[in-house]
Amino acid sequence: MPTSRPLLVPTTRREFLQWSGRGIGLLAFGRFAPDFLIQSVRAGAPLPERDRRILVLVQLAGGNDGLNTVVPFTDDAYYRLRPTLGIPASAVLPLDDHQGLHPACAPLHRLFGEGRVSVVQNVGYPNPNRSHFRSTEIWEAASDSDTSLDTGWIGRFLDNTCQGSPVADALAEAPRDPAAVHISSEVPGAFLARDSHPTFGLGNVRGGRRGREADLALLESLTEHQAHDDHGNSGFLRQVTLDALVTERRVEDLIARYRPEAAYPKDNFAQSLQRVAALISAGLSTRVYFVSLGGFDTHNGQANTHERLLRTLSEGLAAFQSDLTARKLDDQVLTMTFSEFGRRPNENKSGGTDHGTAAPLFVMGSDVQGGLLGSAPSLDLKPNADLSFSTDFRQVYTSVLQDWLDAPAADILGAKFGSLPMLAKRLRS
Amino acid sequence: MNPSLSLSPREAWLPLSARDWNLDAARHLLRRAGWAATPTAAQRAHDRGLARTLDELFPKEPPPFPEPESIAHLRRDYPAMARRQREGTEEERREASRELREQSQRAVQDLSLDWLQAAIDPERSAYEKWSLFLSDVYVISAEKVRRADFVCEHHEIIRRLGAGPAPALTKAISRSPAMLLYLDLQNSRPEAPNENFARELFELFVLGEGNYTEEDIKEAARAFTGYRQNNGRFVLQQRQHDAGPKRVFGVEGSFNGDQVIDLAYQQPAAATFLPRELIRFYLSEYPLDETYVAGLGDWWRAADFDLRALAHRFFGSRLFFDGGWRGTRIKSPVEFYLGLAVDLDLDVAPLPRTVLSSLRQMGQELYQPPNVRGWVGGRRWINASTLSARRQLVQYLLRPIDTARLNADEVAALDAAKAAGREAFTVGPERLAQMNQMSDEQIADRFANYFTPLPATPPTRDIITRHLAAAQSPTDRTERVRAVLTALLQSPAYQLS
Repeated sequence: MPTSRPLLVPTTRREFLQWSGRGIGLLAFGRFAPDFLIQSVRAGAPLPERDRRILVLVQLAGGNDGLNTVVPFTDDAYYRLRPTLGIPASAVLPLDDHQGLHPACAPLHRLFGEGRVSVVQNVGYPNPNRSHFRSTEIWEAASDSDTSLDTGWIGRFLDNTCQGSPVADALAEAPRDPAAVHISSEVPGAFLARDSHPTFGLGNVRGGRRGREADLALLESLTEHQAHDDHGNSGFLRQVTLDALVTERRVEDLIARYRPEAAYPKDNFAQSLQRVAALISAGLSTRVYFVSLGGFDTHNGQANTHERLLRTLSEGLAAFQSDLTARKLDDQVLTMTFSEFGRRPNENKSGGTDHGTAAPLFVMGSDVQGGLLGSAPSLDLKPNADLSFSTDFRQVYTSVLQDWLDAPAADILGAKFGSLPMLAKRLRS
Repeated sequence: MNPSLSLSPREAWLPLSARDWNLDAARHLLRRAGWAATPTAAQRAHDRGLARTLDELFPKEPPPFPEPESIAHLRRDYPAMARRQREGTEEERREASRELREQSQRAVQDLSLDWLQAAIDPERSAYEKWSLFLSDVYVISAEKVRRADFVCEHHEIIRRLGAGPAPALTKAISRSPAMLLYLDLQNSRPEAPNENFARELFELFVLGEGNYTEEDIKEAARAFTGYRQNNGRFVLQQRQHDAGPKRVFGVEGSFNGDQVIDLAYQQPAAATFLPRELIRFYLSEYPLDETYVAGLGDWWRAADFDLRALAHRFFGSRLFFDGGWRGTRIKSPVEFYLGLAVDLDLDVAPLPRTVLSSLRQMGQELYQPPNVRGWVGGRRWINASTLSARRQLVQYLLRPIDTARLNADEVAALDAAKAAGREAFTVGPERLAQMNQMSDEQIADRFANYFTPLPATPPTRDIITRHLAAAQSPTDRTERVRAVLTALLQSPAYQLS
């Protein structure tokens, strides 16, 4: 006969800390205490600063046009390459005397002005691959372009830092927080790991909460009532499935209860970020979140599509940052964008751009150094040639791993890459 | 845990008696030998009888697999690109390497997608799964081989010779350009014989560990020196070949590679090695009592190691049809994916990002086994993240494709597939709406007996009918049908065969 679950169990670190302030300790919750609480108690709560640092990855799927995101508005070559798509200098939101953001990026421009966004320019890798699939794989695996790895850089980070805690294993019934959460219909390749980590996906945002709740309940009752043999594979699958459902229900519940402190736009992207904010503010021990915005493959009629996408991106990110700030969680979260490649410098004949190479990316948080990093791409190019990257994407990963997540970057990336001054000085090792 | 068997090792492999051949048995055969058992296919197999069904599943002359165009292009363009790679300027050489690599990677993607599509054809399913089994024995990896045309050729060898005598297949494998590169025969020469191939030949292809000595490997390696390929054509380079006397398995002679393979098949362990692998792949991840394995092995040796005969014997046997095996084996990601495609009557979407990523997330990338041992399978397929990938795949397949998220290549690939008459890549609401003509009970019966290997328990049927009965409108019912189907295909029972 299993002991019944106490009525009041803290589901978040915040709740727990509030309760322990009132003298209610971990023992009161016995074996129902979530993993992160046990870890924090073992370490003498609260968790050490670096364990609370969270990374949010924002994928711009399809290949974002870097030159029309960060516009070299004083370079005549740019306007020669982009006779119809070029953004007029008068419309650009200046970042410095030569570079400026697309006019749809006003909210990001404001954050840049406040020193809460850094722009890393011209990021890429040697021997660039122009296939969406393959180049995404390279970014996810953090591999050279001629090797393929079966793990992703986040997966290796988890392998490196999330060794199972013996206390948690003993308390098998305690729901474990997911090590990483993605809000996308596919599990990101970056999460692939050698060891098994409880990663968790929220799928697409379609369908209301009640619908999802009903789907979960259905799967749960089917799982419980299907024929099974406790020692056989059916019993094993049943256990793994029910465990996953416990986590999922908890996560759904946290999301449903969340009341944001900022007005998020209604689009899927912003709503995904709102869910991330819900889970972060609930104090899950999850270290990495992944959100995806698609549609950047602008081969024709780019102008309007790209403008809409950049607006969606900027407004979503700005709402997310202001929500975190209002909750004083902004010092715990670093958000970073990436895209599989940039686009060809010269526009094509269909008012679009073809697959290219390097592109800028954004890093957002209250602890970023701010400003423009790295050097802008040279546009002194042969006809139809591509940009040559100046910052390797693994330098960005190195800075994130080493300065933000406090992890051994070279071990995780398989080689040493120079870091960048992306984060505030006090965080850099 | 394996079921306890009432059969004696002697009778275990005898053909199933005709009175035990029923619809349930037919389903079990189709699920294990292929990907799924649709009601039509099960009924057809049942009506034709076991012997004729086995003849269809494992034919004497398996249908050829048309190679993707990009493979032919790679083979054609390779010599010119290789020349540029050797003779060009520094920059041209780099560019040529990059182009080669990309072309080969794309061709592997095409090969994967084409193979998946071919493998759902009911006339090929069982034999293509059989090739998948054999390629999990004769392992190579596209990652190391780096030539998609060689990878394709390697699997063509398996397909061509996989229904004949095993020694002939093993000999052809020893000449497979992909294998030469994968196990480093390409540089093996008399002064420095490379033992990699000889070791795997004994350990992973023919005998199993413990059935050879290190001396046997060293000596055997000499027999495979001088094996070379030239743009995919096998050549034995006499000057690099050690034709001298060797001593392998206690026998002396100036053996060549083929003779070493013949010697290996004369070892007692050869009789049971492949049958044991077969049992592991198709029947159970838990070892079967060796007395049973020996029974099948003795029979197979007497049948001159004929692979097709082995398949017929195994899939026609009393032991295979023992009721205890039903619903005990965890489907591999490929089986899960193709099972869904067959069960839902879908084509494979020509979208690498969706299809190949999904397989990868579930833990199985075609042509990229984790190591020379191949995929181990069983419970190792399942953990929190792979299970979540399986669930997401089901969700994906039961909704229309979100075209707004597709990139231009993907739109083009979908258009091309549609032009070729393939367009059902996911189950849209129109198809689910067809079920609105069926009663809740009919749907529950259909779902409960169609998809899962064991009949649904009464509470399972109740859960389904109750969920459907709450429908408020035809649209809501369609949505409920989708939800029930999603949950069922995500549930543990559907992960098993």
